[in-house]
Amino acid sequence: MSIPAVTITALSKSFGDLRAVDDLSFSVQNGETFGLLGPNGAGKTTTISLLIGLLRPDHGSVVLGKTESRDPGNPAFATVRQSVGVAPQALSIYEALTAKENLEFFGQLYGLSGAKLKERVAWCLDFAQLAERAKTRAGTFSGGMKRRLNMAVALIHEPSILLLDEPTVGVDPQSRNHIFESIQTLREQGMTILYTTHYMEEAQRLCERVAIMDHGKLLAMDTVENLLSQFGGDSIITADLQSIPSGVEIPGARSGNRIRFVAPRPLEEVAKLSSKGVAFQTLNVIQPDLESVFLKLTGRNLRDG
Amino acid sequence: MNPILVMALKDLRLLFRDKLGAFFIIGFPILMGLFFGLVMGSPTSSVSQGKMKIAVVDLDQSETSSKWVSFMAKHESIELEELDFDTARESVRKGGRVAMLVLKKGFGETAGVFWREPPTIQVGVDPSRAMEAAMLQGMVMEGIGQLAGQRMMDSSSMNDMIARSRADLVADETISAGNRLLLNTFFASLEKMQNSIGALQADSDESSAGSLGAGGFEFANIESIDVSRKIDPKSQAAQLPRLKSRWDISFPQAMMWGVLGCVAGFAVSIARERTQGTMTRLQIAPITRSQVLLGKALACFLSVVLVVVFMVGLGVFLGMRPGNYLTLAFAALCVAICFTGIMMIMANLGKTEESVNGAGWAINMVMAMVGGAMIPVMFMPQFMQGLSYLSPIKWGILAIEGAVWRDFDFAEMMLPCGILLATGVIGVVVGTTILTKE
Repeated sequence: MSIPAVTITALSKSFGDLRAVDDLSFSVQNGETFGLLGPNGAGKTTTISLLIGLLRPDHGSVVLGKTESRDPGNPAFATVRQSVGVAPQALSIYEALTAKENLEFFGQLYGLSGAKLKERVAWCLDFAQLAERAKTRAGTFSGGMKRRLNMAVALIHEPSILLLDEPTVGVDPQSRNHIFESIQTLREQGMTILYTTHYMEEAQRLCERVAIMDHGKLLAMDTVENLLSQFGGDSIITADLQSIPSGVEIPGARSGNRIRFVAPRPLEEVAKLSSKGVAFQTLNVIQPDLESVFLKLTGRNLRDG
Repeated sequence: MNPILVMALKDLRLLFRDKLGAFFIIGFPILMGLFFGLVMGSPTSSVSQGKMKIAVVDLDQSETSSKWVSFMAKHESIELEELDFDTARESVRKGGRVAMLVLKKGFGETAGVFWREPPTIQVGVDPSRAMEAAMLQGMVMEGIGQLAGQRMMDSSSMNDMIARSRADLVADETISAGNRLLLNTFFASLEKMQNSIGALQADSDESSAGSLGAGGFEFANIESIDVSRKIDPKSQAAQLPRLKSRWDISFPQAMMWGVLGCVAGFAVSIARERTQGTMTRLQIAPITRSQVLLGKALACFLSVVLVVVFMVGLGVFLGMRPGNYLTLAFAALCVAICFTGIMMIMANLGKTEESVNGAGWAINMVMAMVGGAMIPVMFMPQFMQGLSYLSPIKWGILAIEGAVWRDFDFAEMMLPCGILLATGVIGVVVGTTILTKE
């Protein structure tokens, strides 16, 4: 089995009486897109800060990349940080500098120079769809453009691990789609991505595995499908029926021609009714999602905070 | 490229992208330099409210010269001290005193005797205190006037002088018979007047010496002494076509405003890195915190050097005459190190841009006010002049003036430069340590 790109073991961090991260353990495999899902205040950003060495854990450990004797994956080491790209939740770009200048500056901090720097800057501008605005000051950009630049800066040094902390906060739908497409491209290229979000549809769309956090604790972790089947509950089917043959038993509640019932396998149930001669005028199936998983696990909605 | 240099170049770029910041670093100091330069060059400009420290060199050592010195010493605007010539000259050159007055041998013979050639008084004024020169000249004349008045009222002394003058008249064969007759008549009238004054004085104790000013009468010849330095006639400074010492004073002061602009700008920039989130990126980049902070320090240092170089260039263009460019470079270096250290301390004054900016400018203003960047130290009250020693601005101005016109040698530069360097090193070490620990 290959060595994981990120390994967190029994990680804890408190701020005074507040336990921001509580005995958290998980690992992210090389090339995997891993989601940390939880409401605001769940401890996602603190986990990212612990991962990149901005905060020191009270307990537990963080290992990034391959374990070597000299720098055993500790983010305090420059060589480890060299392999990680971070797009923080708060925009981290110089608004008085142009997009190109921002990329050049951070590229130089990571040791890039000359043709390589030029090549990477051009790639990042292209990636963020900012090539035409390369010489425009970032301060004049829209929220979405700033987010894209924020992400591009994280990629300037070709990291093998990318940490994206709520990368779509305050972004217009067009830029959000662009960010999704960019992440999918990076995933196809084999980059390890750790993605934090409180939007369940993003985690569901982008991540192979998802860890659900609340109050600093890990509540569940698995593939999206497994989480849904384990904690999502049944699908909800509502339908308007055209005709009901006599003797056919209709499940759930019925009000006139309208029926509503729950079923673990909704399509099988609908097919069974259809084969008995039930004619459907309309059919609506609400499948469980990570929102319902979170509701099931915590008794609260994801966006309640 | 070295990360420290990368950081510094980025910060310089950011600094000069901020138009208001750039104005306070370059535009404002230019305006200050030009304004004070023009004001200082005007003889009608305002003068000090405090006492002027004056050195007097009495080469005559006569009773009259002593009387004149005591008249001057009683003046409420003057703090007088008798010194020998070299000490007095050195004192003025180093800025310890506003001016020196030299009473030449023979002063007592002619001072206040209005029918004789007036005495010559040599005056050496600190070029930075040209505004007070005119006032001092007035005080010198007033002193001679008082002396003349007292001499007129002193019948015996006056009669002796008339007798000596008559003897001189007899001995001088070059005087024509007509003139001789005229002068003898004059002395006789004068003698008669003196006797009348003597009789009047016997009846009354009132003295009116101070009122005996002389309309149109020249009390003394004022001769200037150069207290700055001898300029090598072959030097570039001597050849500058528009040599105007007024800029020698106003530009070092103005430079300090630019320096303070740099300090305020960079102190805030550390807080700004925090608030705009870029500090996070800097902290997770493969560079050390010390490199981040030293990058800031280097940017501040370079900007201060740039300000000084720019202001010197402009000053030279206008007519400033730096005495020694090497010494000036050394002074600029020390000023840059000192204020880089102060910037590093100021960066710790708050967590937000607003708090650092507010506290930074408050401290800057106090340093500038006390140190002589607003009003030259010599125009301040005595206690403020004492306080000025606590301000790095004072030492910065002194170091630059030492190179520009005070003609300080290396040993003399060591005091201001040593203080500047020590302040800078302490500031950088303490500031970096605190910021790194955060």
